[in-house]
Amino acid sequence: MITAIWDQLKGLYSLIVGMIVTGRYFFAPQKTVHYPRKVVDPEDLAAYRGPLELTRGKDDESRTRCISCQMCAKGCPGNCIKVVKGTEGKLPSTWVYDFSLCCLCGACVEVCPASAIDFSHRLYLVVTSREELVMDLLADLKERVAANPLKPAPDVPAAAGQKAADAPSAGAAKNGEV
Amino acid sequence: MELSNISISGLIILVIACLLVIALMVVNAIVMVYAERKGAGFIQRRPGPYEVGPWGTLQPVVDSMKLLGKQIFVPSNVDFFLFFAAPVLAFFPVLLLFLPIPFGPFLTALKVPDGIVLILAFAGFGLLANLLAGYASNNKYGVLGAGRAVSQGVAYEIPMILALLAVVFQTGSMNLSEIVEAQGRWPWSWNILCQPLAFFIYLVTLVAETNRAPFDLPEGESELTAGFHTEYSGMGFALFFLAEYANMLLVSFVCATFFLGGYKGPVLDGFWWTFIKAYLVMMFIVWIRWTFPRVRFDQLLNINWKWLLPLSILNLWITAVVVNFIGK
Ligand code: SF4
Ligand code: SF4
Repeated sequence: MITAIWDQLKGLYSLIVGMIVTGRYFFAPQKTVHYPRKVVDPEDLAAYRGPLELTRGKDDESRTRCISCQMCAKGCPGNCIKVVKGTEGKLPSTWVYDFSLCCLCGACVEVCPASAIDFSHRLYLVVTSREELVMDLLADLKERVAANPLKPAPDVPAAAGQKAADAPSAGAAKNGEV
Repeated sequence: MELSNISISGLIILVIACLLVIALMVVNAIVMVYAERKGAGFIQRRPGPYEVGPWGTLQPVVDSMKLLGKQIFVPSNVDFFLFFAAPVLAFFPVLLLFLPIPFGPFLTALKVPDGIVLILAFAGFGLLANLLAGYASNNKYGVLGAGRAVSQGVAYEIPMILALLAVVFQTGSMNLSEIVEAQGRWPWSWNILCQPLAFFIYLVTLVAETNRAPFDLPEGESELTAGFHTEYSGMGFALFFLAEYANMLLVSFVCATFFLGGYKGPVLDGFWWTFIKAYLVMMFIVWIRWTFPRVRFDQLLNINWKWLLPLSILNLWITAVVVNFIGK
C-alpha cells in the first residue's frame, strides 16, 4: 500500500519533470531553417547524406583512390554504380552513379577498401529530368578539385593530404553518433 | 431571470446569447487551432504554421475553407439518420452549456440557481453524440472508439462531479455566480488554495472528459484510425472538431469559475479575467497534450477507479467534516 502510493507520487514527479522539459523547449530557440530565405549552416550538414562523391586522391587530389575492385557495384542493392577499369593501372575509366536509384544506404561507402567514396553534402540538388541524376563522378571529382584545391602544391607530404581528405568523413562519423 | 417565468425580453436575451455563444465557439476554434499548432511547434522547436499570412495567422482560416469545400462522403450501410444527427448532437448541446457561465458580474445569459447541475447534466450529450457517431458509421474502428468514449466518459464523470461537489459544499451553493462571489480578488483567496486536491482531480478529469491526449483513446490514431469520427469528412468532421474545442473552452470556464476566482481579478473585475484564466487553462491542456504519451486503456481506467475516485471521495468527506464542524 505504502509502496504503491510512493510509486504513484514518483510517477507524478516524473510527469512534472516532463512538463518542465517541454516548457523549456517551448522557449528555446527553434531549429527550423526557413529554406528559401535562409540556408542550412554547413556545420549542421556534416552528417547529411547527399549523392555519392569520390574522395580526393592522396597525392594528386584530382585522381580518385578507386582501385576498380567492383565491391561497391556488387554490394549496392539498387544497382546504381557502374565502375569500368581503365588502362592506367587500377584506375577506373568510368565511374557512373545513378542517384535516382540510390537509397543512400551506405553499403558502398562501408565496403570500399580504398575509402574512395563518401556521401556529399549537396542538400539543394534540383534537376528537371531523371537522366540528370545519372552522374559521372570522375568528372565531378575533377571539377571539385579544380574549383577548390585543398592542397596548395602537389609536393606537400602525403599525410597532410590524407588528413584533409579524411576530414569530412571523420566529421560525419562523429556527428552520426550524436 | 428564473426559468419558470421566461418573458419575451428574456427570450430575446437568450437568442442573442445563443448567437454570441456560437460566435465565441467558432472564434475559439480558430484561435485554438492556431494556438495549439503554434504550441506544438514551439515545444518541438519548430515554428508551427508560418507561411500563410503573417506568422501563419491565416492558416486556420484557410484550413476551415478547405474543410467546407470537402466532399461529404457517406459510406455504405450507415444508419443515415443517426449518422447525420451525431455531429449536430455533438455541437448544439455545448451551446446550452455556455449559458449559465458567469463571464462577468453582469454578463450571464441564464442566471439559474443550479447552474452546475445544468452543465453536468447536458455535458453527457457530447458522450451520446460520440456513441451515436461510432455506432452509426458501420465501421469497426468507429464502434470501438464509441465504446471507449462511453466507458471513459462514464468513469471520469464521477470524480469530476465529486471534485466540483467539494467546492459546492464549501460555498453552500450551486449557483455559479455565488461560487465566484464567495472567492476573493487575489489568487490566495481563490478556491484552488483551499481545494487543491479537488483542483488537481478536476484538472485530470477535464482532460479525460474532453477526450484529449494523454486520454484521447476514443480517437487514438495509432489503433483506431480516428475512432468514432473515422467516417466523417467535411462538415461532419468540422462540427466534431468545433465541439471538441468548445468542450475544452467550457471545462476551462468551469475550472476558472470554480477554482480560479472567475471574473474576479487583482485589478478590475470583469469578463476579461474569466477569459484570461480560461485560456491559461486551455494552454495548460495544450502543454499537457504535447508532453505526455497516450496512456493504455486499462491504465486509463485504473487511474480513475483506483486513484481519482477514492481521492475525490476522501476530499469530499474531509470537506464535509470541515464545513460541518469548523464552519466555512
Ligand atoms: S548508398 Fe546504397 S544504394 Fe546508394 S549507391 Fe551506395 S550501395 Fe547503392
Ligand atoms: S569499392 Fe571502392 S575501390 Fe572498389 S570499385 Fe568501388 S569505389 Fe572503387
